[in-house]
Amino acid sequence: MKHSRPALLAALLFAAATLPWWAGNQYQLHLATLISAYWVLIGGLNLVVGYAGQLSIGHVGLLAIGAYCFAILAGAHGVHPALAVAAAGALCGLCGLLLGLPSLRLPGFYFAMATAAFSLIVTEMSLALGGLTGGGVGIAVPAFPPPFDTPQGFYYLCAGAALLVTWLTGNAARGTWGRGLIAIRDSQVTAQAVGVPVFRAKLVAFVASGIAAGLAGALFGALQSYITPDTFPFDLGLFFFVCIIIGGRGSIVGPFVGTAVLTALPELVAPLAKLGTFFYGLLLLVVVLLVPEGIGRLVEAAIRRFRPAREESVPVRPDLARLAAAIREGRG
Amino acid sequence: MSLEAREVSKRFGGIAALSEVSLALEPGEVHGLIGPNGSGKTTLLNLLSGYYRADAGGIVLDDEDLTLATVQRRAFKGLARTFQKPRLLPALSVLDNAALGGWRDCSAGFLASSAALPRARREDRMLRGRAEELLHGVGLGHAIGRRAGNLEHAEQRFLEIARGLAMRPRYILLDEPAGGLTPAEIRHLGGVIRTMRDCGIGVLLVEHHTDFVFRICDRVTTLDLGRIIAHGAPDAVRRNPDVIRVYLGGSHAAA
Repeated sequence: MKHSRPALLAALLFAAATLPWWAGNQYQLHLATLISAYWVLIGGLNLVVGYAGQLSIGHVGLLAIGAYCFAILAGAHGVHPALAVAAAGALCGLCGLLLGLPSLRLPGFYFAMATAAFSLIVTEMSLALGGLTGGGVGIAVPAFPPPFDTPQGFYYLCAGAALLVTWLTGNAARGTWGRGLIAIRDSQVTAQAVGVPVFRAKLVAFVASGIAAGLAGALFGALQSYITPDTFPFDLGLFFFVCIIIGGRGSIVGPFVGTAVLTALPELVAPLAKLGTFFYGLLLLVVVLLVPEGIGRLVEAAIRRFRPAREESVPVRPDLARLAAAIREGRG
Repeated sequence: MSLEAREVSKRFGGIAALSEVSLALEPGEVHGLIGPNGSGKTTLLNLLSGYYRADAGGIVLDDEDLTLATVQRRAFKGLARTFQKPRLLPALSVLDNAALGGWRDCSAGFLASSAALPRARREDRMLRGRAEELLHGVGLGHAIGRRAGNLEHAEQRFLEIARGLAMRPRYILLDEPAGGLTPAEIRHLGGVIRTMRDCGIGVLLVEHHTDFVFRICDRVTTLDLGRIIAHGAPDAVRRNPDVIRVYLGGSHAAA
């Protein structure tokens, strides 16, 4: 598995880099761009849901705030798009902080409800603040400046952002922070015992996911070119959540595959599109019942079947000299 | 220099789980804590490590009052513990489980860690290296890459100890570490505990295997109904009539 990983990654990167040439049509390019924009959000949300185990179903609210912030600043106020993107990220990071401070102390179910309520409030606010957001009519979202104003250029921008999010979250997940977040998810008692500040660590992950959602909002808004409150339905928040659960918790690749499959399948296979939300529901049911650890784990299990690991029973036999050296090393 | 419970009391509803219990754990000693089920051993462990707050009395670690400190604060001051039922992260590898104990030495913030700054990478390598050495030391060298969820029971117990040692503790509290181990594994556990002691760590050992406790401990404290009924050298405690009556009882008389 260790050898196949970099090769797989290189193949994926190559496919992503050359996609505008082999994509059948503009629509497929649009889909790839959409997947990238979604992944910017879902990649960040993955730290909260997949690693820290906090069930946020309301990140669509942050996506909306990011998109409106970008549209209003870059459109009505003529702020440079790069600055507007940064502002969208910062604003959503702040919103994540304000939402996380009271709600991350709540136990799982109530936290989920708080995030759901947040996204509903954002929808109502975007309707009520008509002077700013255009209300139910919506507002136009300006395109990014050249070279990102063509479908190809914009695809590369979104894919680059997606890659960056993958790299950042991958680094965090592999290191001490990833272990700490998973401890919060799987055993709070253990997390406390080793000194992980549970609430603060959750808050850090949540704010990071907020920033990612803000950036995703700007990209998503520009891709849609026109946004209304209906662009950000409550279902979309569930969709983000479901992508991670189907992909598998505690993995980066799994949720990415989940995002790509769930975004592309209903669009590419017409009969599925008719099923709409039903398809997501069905898929979620199948995964939760058959592979509760997600499709990422399924791939891992398949690899293991081809290359069975030797896990014969070995008696525990301490090497006390080495143990003493290791303890003294730490205390020295 | 010691970890002390000073006349701590703890009530659950109308039941006094602990009444004015004092105990001092010195660095470099193995201190046994025995008593019948429900005598308050685990309650005392939870008070020392901070999962419970004492109703009265205090917890002091090396002259710092930690009575109201969080579990995390105590971990940072050098207090580690294991649990009666091993609490591991089943989805993570054995190495990651042990390296989790290095959290207190992680100075890299979330941003530095995400951006893989050289400092953060160096630190993570160091923590992994430390965890790996400890794992070889406790005898889990063969299992480093396995998922902790696939470990056998004894391996889980030793992994919890390795995680505790990765915290570089000055005091470690072991809650029934010999539970479910074979005689050979208990012998190995004894070696690990002596090694920790010889390295200057204070070990508090809550255990039902009394032969093991009396063999390995420097001092033994016996609890009954939330009160200390005997305290001192193993041989003296073993012969104490109160201890024999409430705890050692017939099994020892017969043996």
